[in-house]
This record gives sequence, structure tokens and C-alpha cells, in this order.
Amino acid sequence: MFRRVWEEWKNKTLTSRQQRGSQTDQQASNKSPLSLHLQENLDTIKQLLGNPQDLIIRPFLIDNSGRACAVACIDGLVDTDLVHDKVVKHIQLLMSPAGKAIPASDEDIMTFMLDEVLSIIEVKTGSTMEEVLDAMLVGDTAFFVDGSNKTILIDSRGWETRGIEEPVSEGLVRGPRDGFNENIRDNTVRIRRRVRDPKLRFDATHVGQRSKSDLIIAYIEDIANPNIVGEIKRRIATIDIDQVEESGFIEQWIEDNFLSPFPQVQYTERPDKVASGLFQGRVAIILDGTPIVLLAPVTMGVLLHSPEDFYERWMVGSLARLLRYVASFLAIFSPALYIALVTFHPGLIPSDLAFSIAATRDGVPFPAVVESLIMVTTMELLQEAGLRLPKPIGQTVGIVGGLVIGEAAVSAGIVSPVMVIVVAITAIASFAIPSYNLAIAFRMIRFGAMFAAAMFGLYGVVLAFILMVTHLINLTSIGVPYLTPLAPQLVSDWKDYILRAPVTFFKKRPDMLQTKDKTRMKAGKSQ
Amino acid sequence: MNTLPYADQKIGQKEMVFIVANIVIGVGILTFPRTLAEKTGSIDGWISVLISGLFASVVGWLLGKLASRFPAHTFFEYTSLIVTRPVARVITFLVGVYFMLFVSFEVRALGNIAKQYLFTNTPVEMITLAFLLIVQYAVAGSRMALLRLNMLFFPIVLLIIFFVQLYTVQILELDNIRPLFTTGLGALLLGSKEVNLSFSGYEVVLFYTLLMARAQDAPKAVVKGLLIPIFLYLTIYIFVIGVFSTDVVKNLTYPTIELAKEVEVPGGFIERMESLFFTIWIMTIFNSCTVFFDLAIFNLGSIFRKVRKITWILVISPLVYMISLWPQNLVQFFSLGDQLVYFGIFITYLVPLLLLLIAKWRGVRGDE
Repeated sequence: MFRRVWEEWKNKTLTSRQQRGSQTDQQASNKSPLSLHLQENLDTIKQLLGNPQDLIIRPFLIDNSGRACAVACIDGLVDTDLVHDKVVKHIQLLMSPAGKAIPASDEDIMTFMLDEVLSIIEVKTGSTMEEVLDAMLVGDTAFFVDGSNKTILIDSRGWETRGIEEPVSEGLVRGPRDGFNENIRDNTVRIRRRVRDPKLRFDATHVGQRSKSDLIIAYIEDIANPNIVGEIKRRIATIDIDQVEESGFIEQWIEDNFLSPFPQVQYTERPDKVASGLFQGRVAIILDGTPIVLLAPVTMGVLLHSPEDFYERWMVGSLARLLRYVASFLAIFSPALYIALVTFHPGLIPSDLAFSIAATRDGVPFPAVVESLIMVTTMELLQEAGLRLPKPIGQTVGIVGGLVIGEAAVSAGIVSPVMVIVVAITAIASFAIPSYNLAIAFRMIRFGAMFAAAMFGLYGVVLAFILMVTHLINLTSIGVPYLTPLAPQLVSDWKDYILRAPVTFFKKRPDMLQTKDKTRMKAGKSQ
Repeated sequence: MNTLPYADQKIGQKEMVFIVANIVIGVGILTFPRTLAEKTGSIDGWISVLISGLFASVVGWLLGKLASRFPAHTFFEYTSLIVTRPVARVITFLVGVYFMLFVSFEVRALGNIAKQYLFTNTPVEMITLAFLLIVQYAVAGSRMALLRLNMLFFPIVLLIIFFVQLYTVQILELDNIRPLFTTGLGALLLGSKEVNLSFSGYEVVLFYTLLMARAQDAPKAVVKGLLIPIFLYLTIYIFVIGVFSTDVVKNLTYPTIELAKEVEVPGGFIERMESLFFTIWIMTIFNSCTVFFDLAIFNLGSIFRKVRKITWILVISPLVYMISLWPQNLVQFFSLGDQLVYFGIFITYLVPLLLLLIAKWRGVRGDE
């Protein structure tokens, strides 16, 4: 019902947004053309940008012809050495092939410059002020000549970026060490280096009305299902925000169900993960300015996989996966099970253990629910505090937290030692989940399960489980059911699910993504 | 919004088999050894299970035949093709009411058992309310998701039964099973009538064949689906009698859960298996409930087309809840169950069989 109300509301806003969009289009079509006078153009640039301190305008003369020209760029965004060596110097000294005269006419001079003088790979011409500003703001240099209402936009982008470092949030024992960084070009290079396939597509677009961030939708054309690619593109085209700082904005805009605690898009800063996703037929969304690349569609199973499962031998990989499924269960349900067993069903615990638990709980003044809530909340606090702090202080938090949780709380009689064990198991289990966003989802559900257990014991826990599974079964990610290949059952995909079969078994790509090219081995035979 | 062909709204034969099996296995399997032991008074009740299983398979096959004659029609649509629209309206309405009552029955059964085995202090009203809310949530989702849920929980349920039987083999006493073949045919037939009540649920084939990719597989799927519960009922009856003896079973309200009570896991890792057994059993009761609830809405919705699904859920749920709280004690509860099943036999077996006859006689067929 809420979904329906939401849909109606969304449709309304969408239509109004489209109307607004068409208005801006009209405005954009009224582009102001460039003037014939050099000084006028330069003044307009100054005025439109508010004459900022980092604007460089360098007027000079072409060789000895006496014709005035100028370059304009933004300091810091451009490689100044390149502009100096290949643009200003060349034109001032006109190191063109000997014997050619500088054309006098206004049209010819631009072609002459492009063809003969500027030794730079990427150049284009522009004729409106909007084009000039857009280009300058991404790091291009604009070149004007007096008497011409055209401009040459020279790609001179060169700013300081962070080097390629090891991914912080996704460390592996075995596997490549490089991670993405904030520069979209570096990131596409990392992917191209791994996918040397002419069918690799980088469809570029911009998002953010004001931030105009570069966004690239990457997929392999003859593998990815066109419906999925089309749907992702359609959803990205609807994005209408003024600034996009991080790919999280994109994720939240294109996800299927915003009421679900579960992530419906995967994120990673590992190029190898993206490359393997592309080969499976998934789509990567790369945004400029963030090392986090999105991968969609995603299923629960994929979120519990780690690239290492494939780098290690299959037995190791399978066991690690099994362990992760157990960890997921523990991360969600262990405090709830503790509450249920201690409060409602002490008879289920073996008698000796039940007695010793009862003995340790003897001095504890709270019911098991309150005890668990105190401990689990403390654990969450510690986790949250530890995230933000610089490393040296982080250790202090760890020690203080460890002491408080482990020792002091027990000896002060606030919680029982068994509870400490339960919380420790829960925390460790949630750290064992490879996707941080899935682990957060589990952390949220944990509280729900605890309340259910506090009210109804084991019955409540099982109801919570059923509720969660019912939700998961209804959930989709870009139209792909979230629990595939379990429900709907796609038995052929089970070899890469809870267990990981030996690599030689993977003759086909996952069925769940309905890829165009289905074969992985002996390519071309059954295409 | 489905971008992929396999995510579309069709089910195969395998799914139908599991759905039928999962729905038949519900509350009935927990109580039938008692009624069967009362009627037959010996181990020979297994013959009754076989007889009623055979009967159910035949009826199920015929129902499948009827539904697969009209692969693209809802129950209401093909009923109105066979016997005029007003009659169909009455039949479909009664079917909807029957399923609604059945949900009430299952919900109350769950509440009763949970109260007996899990917690004695929590009022049954709260237990059933919590359960019903989750059933509502599941029904509000897509119908396909509901059926997939069946596929997901069914293996877990089979596993727990297998586990219970594995650990009770050692306490099986052959003296309880002997002597064989002492019961007369009359008692056996009486017994099979009782078991028949526990087989109800396979009538879902009348309604879900519409969703099948190949409707002509429906009769086969029902029979295959019934084989699983027939086998389970047989083994459970033998185990229950073998462990407790006939006289004890007659006095156990839920013999199958009591069987789980006898399980002793080596090493004392877990005690009081019956709580755990029933906790997992909630999943299969949940499945039956959601499917019956969905069918109630499906049928009522096919008569009154303009009413939205969510409205039906909100209208039916309070009714279901109130009816489920109607019986004041176990005796009333079980007699309600019996009356309900007789109503069900009339409306979902006899009437559709008549429909099949009329359809054959008049030569009515649905187009592909």
C-alpha cells in the first residue's frame, strides 16, 4: 500500500521534473555565441566565473604576425608544463613546418593552428561560451584568436591525484593489491588492463545538475543482458540532483526498494572484483571523484562471496563460503537465540550448561533482553567510534572497550560472562561478512530479532526468520530476484553459491543474469 | 518489473509437486496418528494410510485433469464456462470462504500447539496475532514469491522429519508393532476416512494450474506431490506406534510432536527436541497458511474484480483472527476442524468432480 502511494507520488514528481528538465533544455539551447573580439571573450569568461584567483588568462601574440591571441585555463586543473611547451611556446615561436605562411583569414587560422601548430592529441573546437566554461572547469585550456568566433579547447587535464593504493576496506591475503582511486581515468585504466575485450563498453554520461560529475556505465556488450543494461541506463537517466559526491547517491537512486534494509547494489574498490563481475554479465557504474565502483545487479549470494574464493583452491573457497553463511546466521540471530533460550526455554539447553548459565546470571539484576541490549549497543558504539578515529587513538578505544566489555561489565555484575561470549561471537561473525553494507543490514535486523525473541522466545526468532526470508524473496535488484539461485531455483548456478566448485566446472556463465554469451569455456562453439 | 525471463510468473512441474506436498503437510500430520489409532486400534492403520492416499491421488488426478482442461482460466472463469455465471459465483465464493476458514483453523492450531509446547504463559491471542501479521505480509507480496517460499522451506521441513526418525529408530519396539493384520476392513475404512482429512490441501491444483508453464502436467504433479506425504504419513505412523504403542497414542494430542520429544541427541548437545521440532514446523504451517490465504483472496478477488488485493487482505485478516479465537477449548477446536474439512470435501472435491463430469458431458474446453 505504501509502495503504491509512493509510486503515485513519485510519478507526479517525475512528470513535474520532466517539465522542468525541458525548460532547462530550452535555456541550454539559448547558448551565447562567442564574440569576434578577443578582449570581449576574455572579459565574459572573467565575469561569468567571477574573476576567481585561480583563473589564468595569458594574452600573447602569434609569432611575428602581430595577431593577438590568448589561452585561458584554471590553475591546478591543468598541466601547466604541457600548456607552456606545446601551446604557448609553439604559437609564439610558430614551430610549424617551414615555408608555410600564416593564413590571414579568420576561419583559416583556426584550422591552421589545429592542423599544423598544436602538437596535442586531444583537441576540439567550440563556439559557445557554455562549451568553453564546461571545458575549462574539467581542466581543458581554451585558446582564442582575435577576430575568430571559434575557440580551440585543448585537453590539458593534469591534477594531483592519490596514487594507486591497496584497497583499505577489502584486504585479501591472496590477490592483486591495487585498488581504485578518485580519478575516473585511472579507474577505467585499471578495468581495461584486466578486460582486453574490444566489446568492453564505457558509456559516459554526466550526473548532477551542478556538479556535472562524470559517470561511466561499463559492461561487456556481447555478455551483459541488454535488458539489464537498458534498465540501469534508464534509471541513471532519471537521476536529478544538483550534486553527486559519491556513488552512494547513484546507488540510492537506482535501487529497487528503498524500504529494504538490504543493499541492492554491490560496491567495491577492487578492480579484479569489477572485472570478474563484468565477465559474469554484470554492469559496473564508475563515478568520478570516488574510489567506490558500483556493481549491479547483485544477489545475496554474490554479496557473501569474496574474490579470494576463486583465487584459493576450491576446497578452501568452499569452506570459507560455508563459514560465511554460518557467520551470517550467527551475526543476526545469536543474541536473539541467547535471549530466547535463557528467558523462555532453559529446558532446551543441556542441564549442566543451563545450571552454570543460571549461576553466572545469579548476580545480574537485568532480564536477558536488557542485558543483551546493553552489550550489543555497547558493541555498536565501539564499532562506530573505532571507525572515525585516527589509528593511534583507535587502539586506545579498542583496549578501553575490550576492558569494559570483557572484564569490568562482568565483575561489576551488570552482565553475565556468557553474554560477553555471545556478543563477541556476534561481532566476530559480522566482521567475517565480506560486504560491509550487508553486514550493516544484518546488524539492523539483529535488533529486530532480539525484540522478537524477547516477546515470543524461539517462536519469535522463527517468525523473524520467516519475515526476513519473505522479504528477501520479494526483493529484486534491477529485476533479478535477490535470492537467486535458491529461489527461483536455478540448479546450474549452485556450483557457485554456498559451495564453490572446481574451476573446470564453470563451463557456462551464471544463468541468473541471462547473459547473451553463455559459454565460458571453448568460446564460440555454442554461441 | 521483470527484466529476466526466468523471473516471470510461471511455475514448472517440479514447483507444483513441492507446493502440493508442502501444503498437504501441515497441522494434520501432527494429529492423525491419534485418530487413526482410535479407529483401527493397531498398527494396521498403515493400510488405511495407503487406502486414503490412493483415494487422494485419484481425486487429485481428476482435479488436475479439470484444471488442465482450462490452462488459461481462473477457477471462477472456467466454472462459469461449465455452469453459468451465477452458479459459478456462488461456488467460487464458498471456496473463498472455505479457504478463509481454513486459515483461521491453521492459525488457531498453531496457537494451541505453541502454547502447549513453547510457552504456557503467553496468551494464545498474542501468539496467533503475531503469526497472522507475518502471513499478511507474505500474502501482500507477489504470488510467485509465495510459491517460491514453499520451495525454500520444504527441504528444511523434510530434513527435520528425517532427523527425528533417524534418532527414534533405536527406541522403536517391535513388540508394539506386532501383531500385524488384525483389524477388520470396516475399521480400516473408518480409519482411512480420518486420514483423508489430513490429506486435504491438494485442491490447490484447481487454482494454481493457471500459473503452470505446461498445464497438462498438473495431474501428474499432484500425484507426485501426494507421494511425499503418503510416504511420510506411513513412516510416521509406524514410528509413532512403534515407539509409544497403540494405547498410548490414543491419548496423545499431538503424537508426532511427542515422537520428537523422545529424540535424544548424543552428547546432550540439545535437549527437548520437541520445542525445536515444532519451531521448525512453524515454517510449513506458515506455508500452508499463506497459500490458503492467497487462495481465499484469489477466489474472492476473481468474483469482485474491482476490489484491490490489499483491501481484501485488510478485510479478511480481522475475520480470520476472530474466527480463529472462536473455539473455547480443544474439543470445540477439533470439532470445528472436522466440520470444516467436511465442508471442504464438499466444496473443493465433490463440486469440482461434478464440474469435471459436466465439462466432459458438455464438451467444454478452455483455449490455450
